[in-house]
Amino acid sequence: MKIRIIAVAAALVVLSGCASQVTEAGYYWGNYANTLYVYAKEPSDETLAAHVEELNKIIAESTERGLKVPPGIYAELGYIEAKAGDDGAAMSHYEAEMNLYPESRIFLERLTADQK
Amino acid sequence: MKRIITIILAVSFLSGCVEMGTKQDAFPSMYGPQKPVSILVVPAINESTAADAGDLLNVTVSQPFTNMGYYVIPMPIVTDIFRNEGIVEGTQIKGMPTELFKKNFGADAVLFMTIESWDKNYAVLAANVTVGIEYVLLSTTSNEILWSYEQVVVIDTSGGSGNLLADIISTAITTGLTDYASVARQVHARAVTAMPFGKYHPRSGADGLDKSVVIAAKESAIAED
Repeated sequence: MKIRIIAVAAALVVLSGCASQVTEAGYYWGNYANTLYVYAKEPSDETLAAHVEELNKIIAESTERGLKVPPGIYAELGYIEAKAGDDGAAMSHYEAEMNLYPESRIFLERLTADQK
Repeated sequence: MKRIITIILAVSFLSGCVEMGTKQDAFPSMYGPQKPVSILVVPAINESTAADAGDLLNVTVSQPFTNMGYYVIPMPIVTDIFRNEGIVEGTQIKGMPTELFKKNFGADAVLFMTIESWDKNYAVLAANVTVGIEYVLLSTTSNEILWSYEQVVVIDTSGGSGNLLADIISTAITTGLTDYASVARQVHARAVTAMPFGKYHPRSGADGLDKSVVIAAKESAIAED
């Protein structure tokens, strides 16, 4: 009984490991590279919305799996929100980035000062 | 006579092999107090004839370097800031004192990328693209070169099915529509195999003996062309 449960659990771990594409540094990127590229190539409301959706998905998926959200994801989301005028949301995402990655503090504090 | 043959064999053997070095021997500063945590990537310098190559490189560079364990200052934001300042190419930044990037971006190091070549070759049955990129990572405290690498990759962009007519058609189609972003990603991915891991990678500081650096590629990235 116990052995069967362990085997099933092991199989699940292996399977989820295949589908998840978590990098050696422990980051889950989802479809980030593609949505960013499409947006950079053809900036529009639609391509931006698709990229924002992907950023949110990466945060949700990383949190669910107990992974660290990759560097830059919170900051990028905050930057898009700040440009859209949502300063409250932007600040909380910048804070989240600084908490995870203290190296970002100088840059983000400077950025918020400039965006005001 | 025998000796000549031996010499010829030895020479051809030597020329066939590539001199490899360990990461720590090649890039000792990356294992000392100057080892960077945060990296600012400046917009690529494009010396090739492909006008869009710079954008392709910029948009694909964060992920591979982040996965190596560095904090890459968010490239989409950085690109915007530089664009607002009228800077679209790294050439405009090359002469600037690197302390500026420490002060304004909190960057420990600045990464310059120069696209030496991005040549598409078309033939009836085959198509490929030859891409050559030089990477130079500079310390913002000492201006010293921390890491340098030249990566040349030839990537096959033709689809081969074995059916002659189908191949001719698909070569024409795929070469026109090839996802060159994936070409850029492949070049970055190969270059970073010669880079020491950063703080956020589990093998940070433990990869000094990895023999993955092509010595000639380290040198040619910083040689004057």
